[in-house]
Amino acid sequence: MNNLLEINNISKNYHTKNGEIEAIKNISFKIKKGEIISIVGPSGCGKSTLLSIISELDHDYFGKIIKDNNLKIAYMLQSDALLPWLTIYENAILGLKIKKRLDNETLDYVNYLFDFYNLSEFKESYPKNLSGGMRQRVALIRTLALKPDLLLLDEPFSALDQQSRLLISDDVYKIVKKEKKTVILVTHNIEEAVSFSDRVIVLSKRPSQIKNIININFTNQESIYERRKEKYYHQYFDTIWKDLDINES
Amino acid sequence: MSLDQKKYLHKLHMNKIKVIICQIFLIVSFLFLWEYLVNKGIISSFIYSSPSRVIKTIKELIESHNFFNHIYITLKEVFISFTLGISLGFIIALILYEFKFLAKVIDPFLTMLNSLPKVALGPLIIIACGANIKSIILMALLINLIVSIITIYNGFLGTDEYILKLFKTLGASRFQILTKLVIPSSYQTIIASFKLGIAQTLIGVIMGEFLVSKEGIGYLIVYGKQVFNLNYVMTGIILLGIISYILYKLIIILENKLLKHL
Repeated sequence: MNNLLEINNISKNYHTKNGEIEAIKNISFKIKKGEIISIVGPSGCGKSTLLSIISELDHDYFGKIIKDNNLKIAYMLQSDALLPWLTIYENAILGLKIKKRLDNETLDYVNYLFDFYNLSEFKESYPKNLSGGMRQRVALIRTLALKPDLLLLDEPFSALDQQSRLLISDDVYKIVKKEKKTVILVTHNIEEAVSFSDRVIVLSKRPSQIKNIININFTNQESIYERRKEKYYHQYFDTIWKDLDINES
Repeated sequence: MSLDQKKYLHKLHMNKIKVIICQIFLIVSFLFLWEYLVNKGIISSFIYSSPSRVIKTIKELIESHNFFNHIYITLKEVFISFTLGISLGFIIALILYEFKFLAKVIDPFLTMLNSLPKVALGPLIIIACGANIKSIILMALLINLIVSIITIYNGFLGTDEYILKLFKTLGASRFQILTKLVIPSSYQTIIASFKLGIAQTLIGVIMGEFLVSKEGIGYLIVYGKQVFNLNYVMTGIILLGIISYILYKLIIILENKLLKHL
């Protein structure tokens, strides 16, 4: 299989009045099509910065990113970032509108996603009338509507309560697997990283470098609940925990 | 509907009626007290006029075909300066938002202009524009414009960072970010600047009329002072009170319409 994305020796320094901060140092990894990668690391280690660089929001870095020019990247944030003055439906098609890709085919897909997430009856509601979980689902529909090749998830579940968090991450997992999307998930929840991904990249504290890369070999590929019951689940958890722990001390 | 719900709604309704009754009671008793104190000679009718004298003055003004003209002139000036102030304020705030460097450069000058008592510029304005409606509008504009710029600009700056990031990840152009995000998300602050603006505009217009005019409510007050007929002054003040209340209410109605979903 070809690599969808190749990250070679990425480094980034921040400049502030009080001096220079090395945020990321020599990070390299590759992602194959259909792969799900999680990035974990201590808070403030530059995980989000890395996503900003990959999504081309941030051009100010050293190193090289090799990817197809037509690669469609979508970015999902921690906050649902719904516009309060638009209906749920208008919010969901916002990305398509901005990218000028509104047509029957894309709209059909949006409608399909609304049905899939049982949100069809709320299409004309406004964000303030929806629960946190529902809002995050709308944000997910908005992201998926663009049919991205690569999905960047920046702690997309961390603002939710535990119950919604599990439900929605399972939703995301199922649709991602079903549509064979490639995903980079940034999280500081180890359980989420293990149950969600094929590979977990552990970053050190600043300047952040790759501490370890762990391949997760689970037989189940359907649901994160089932994956959590796998035999080696706790071993993976412990390995990552130790990697993080050494960094903190 | 359950009985409890009905009771609750009834209570809400009754509460509203109670508030209105109290308000009417306050106005009526104020007017009665005013009239009574003047009639008994406890306060001077020459200085403080009285409700009956104000009504008489209004009647006279209507008979001499001046009453509605004064109101019309003042309202016209308010409308022109308010619309100009808000639109210019909006446009300048947009420019400052798009060109942050410019915003940094003129920041101290805006602050200076904002704190400067604009009435000090009165003589200059009269000589530059002449004793006409232009001077009045310029005076009002000087007073309401800076406040509008600062309020609206701060509204633009308050745009949700996360949503801004979302727009950038979607590859939105600067124009799209402005029209689809920055401006709509500032509706609330823009309306707030309307509320500030209308009060400032009234101050500016009346100040302008004090300085130059031959018509309008401000003129009525100044004229009353000059001929020592304080009935005119009181009438003018009461008219201004009513007009500012109505204008403010109009903006509240507009606000409720625009901000239904927020």
